[in-house]
Amino acid sequence: MSESAPHLSVRIQHHLGALELDVEFELTRPWTVLFGPSGSGKSTVLRTIAGFVRPDAGRIVSCFYGRSLAMTDTAKGIFVRPHERSVRVAGQGAALFPHMTVRENIAFGTRSQADGTTAAEIVEEATTRFQLSGLARKFPSMLSGGERQRVAIARAATAAVGLGSGSILLLDEPFTGQDVRLRDELIEELRGWLALVERPVLSVTHDVGEAFQLGTEVIKIAEGRIVQQGPVAEVLAGERERLLEQLNASKGSPA
Amino acid sequence: MDLEALWLTLRLAVGTTAILLLVALPLAWWIASGRGGGRALVQAVVALPLVLPPTVLGFYLLVALGPLSAPGRLLIRVLGHPLAFSFAGLLVGSVIYSLPFAVQPLVAGFSAVDGAYVEAAAGLGASPWRTFWSVVLPLTRGSLLTSAVLTFTHTVGEFGVVLMLGGNIPGATQTLSISLYDKVQEFNYAAANRTALVLVALSLAALLLIYSRRSGLRRGELV
Repeated sequence: MSESAPHLSVRIQHHLGALELDVEFELTRPWTVLFGPSGSGKSTVLRTIAGFVRPDAGRIVSCFYGRSLAMTDTAKGIFVRPHERSVRVAGQGAALFPHMTVRENIAFGTRSQADGTTAAEIVEEATTRFQLSGLARKFPSMLSGGERQRVAIARAATAAVGLGSGSILLLDEPFTGQDVRLRDELIEELRGWLALVERPVLSVTHDVGEAFQLGTEVIKIAEGRIVQQGPVAEVLAGERERLLEQLNASKGSPA
Repeated sequence: MDLEALWLTLRLAVGTTAILLLVALPLAWWIASGRGGGRALVQAVVALPLVLPPTVLGFYLLVALGPLSAPGRLLIRVLGHPLAFSFAGLLVGSVIYSLPFAVQPLVAGFSAVDGAYVEAAAGLGASPWRTFWSVVLPLTRGSLLTSAVLTFTHTVGEFGVVLMLGGNIPGATQTLSISLYDKVQEFNYAAANRTALVLVALSLAALLLIYSRRSGLRRGELV
C-alpha cells in the first residue's frame, strides 16, 4: 500500500445536538488514529464514514490504486448504503450477535477470496491471532466484557480481509476493557495481519497510551474541529508530557 | 363429535396462520422500523378488528365480496362464483379479522431488538435482507411463535365473522364454534358439550406451547 496517495478523503460538516462538526482530512498511512476527548465528534466522524450518519454536507471518497469511489457526496446527492461501502466497522460496544457462537460471529462478515483463501482460513487466522481459540464454541453471554470486545475486533477485521483489497477497517475505541499488556499484544497482531493483507485502518481513541503504542499518524480532534494531524510523537507531545508529570507527581506524594 | 367441522376449523386456522405470517412479517418490520403519520394510520387500521364487533367486519366483507359491490362482481366474474359463503371467502375474512393478533407481537418483538445489532450487521457488509433473516428473526423467534399461536387460536375461536360471511354450510363454512351454536339451538347439550371441550383443549394446548417455551428461553433471546 502506497503511503503517499490517500486511500480515503473525508470532508464532513454536520450538526448533531451541541456538536458542530467541521472536519477535512485524508488517510495516507496504513493506520491512522483519530484522537480526542469524549464529545469531540470523533465517533460521529467514524459513523459518517461508515454510512450510519448522513452529514448535512460533505464528501467521502475512497481511493484504491488510482480509482476513486464516492461513498457520500451531498453536492451530487450520492449516498452509498453502509453494507455496500468498501469499509468494515466495529462500533462502540461489541454488539456480538447473542444467538451465534464466537466462531459464527467472527465468520459473519467474511467470504472466500479470489486468491484461493477460504473464509474458514480467514476465520481461523483471526481466531488464532486474537487468542480466541478456546472461546470459539462459546456464546457471547458466557464471555467477559474484554473477551467480547476482542471478538468484535476479530469479527470486523475478518470482514475487512474478506471484503477484498481496497477495503478500510474502522474501529471505535477497539481496545476498551483490555488490560495494557493484552492490548499491546493485540495491537501487534492486528497491525501485523492488516499490514500483511494491506487493509488500512482508522481507529478512534481517547487513550494517549494506546495512540503511542500504535505509534502512527494521529489526527487530533476537539470540539468538532481538527487541531492537528501528523506523527504521534509530534501531535500528542503535550498529552504525553502531562501524563508523565501526573505519574511523577503521584510517585512523589505517597497516597 | 362433528369431525367435518373440526377438520374445516383446522384447515381454516392453519391456512389463516400461514397467510398471515407472510403478510405480517414485512408489515410488522416496516411498522417497527420507523415513525411517521403513515405508520400511525396503518397501525390504527391493523388494530381496527380488535375493537370492532366481528359482525361489523363480517357485514362489510359480505357486501364487498358479494354481487352488490364492483370488486365483488369482478371476483364473481373471475372465479365463477361469489367468495362469500365459500371456504375461500372465510379465509379472506379470517385473515383480516386476525391481522392484529399476527402483527402486534411481531411489532413488539422487532422493536425490542437492539439497533446496535442491526448496525453491526450492516457494518460487516450484510444487506438489510440478510440482517433481517440471520440476525433480527432469530432474535425474535419467541414473538414469531406467539404471533402464530395467537392467530391460530383466534381463528379457531371466531364466530361472528364466520356466521355473517360464511353462512352455516356443513363441510364448506361450518366451523366448530358455529356447530356448537347449532347444537345448543337444537337443545343437544351432550353434543354441544363435546364440541366445547374440543375447543377448550385446542386453545389450551396452543397457549401451553407459548408459556412452556417462554419459561425455558435460551439466554440472550428476546421474547
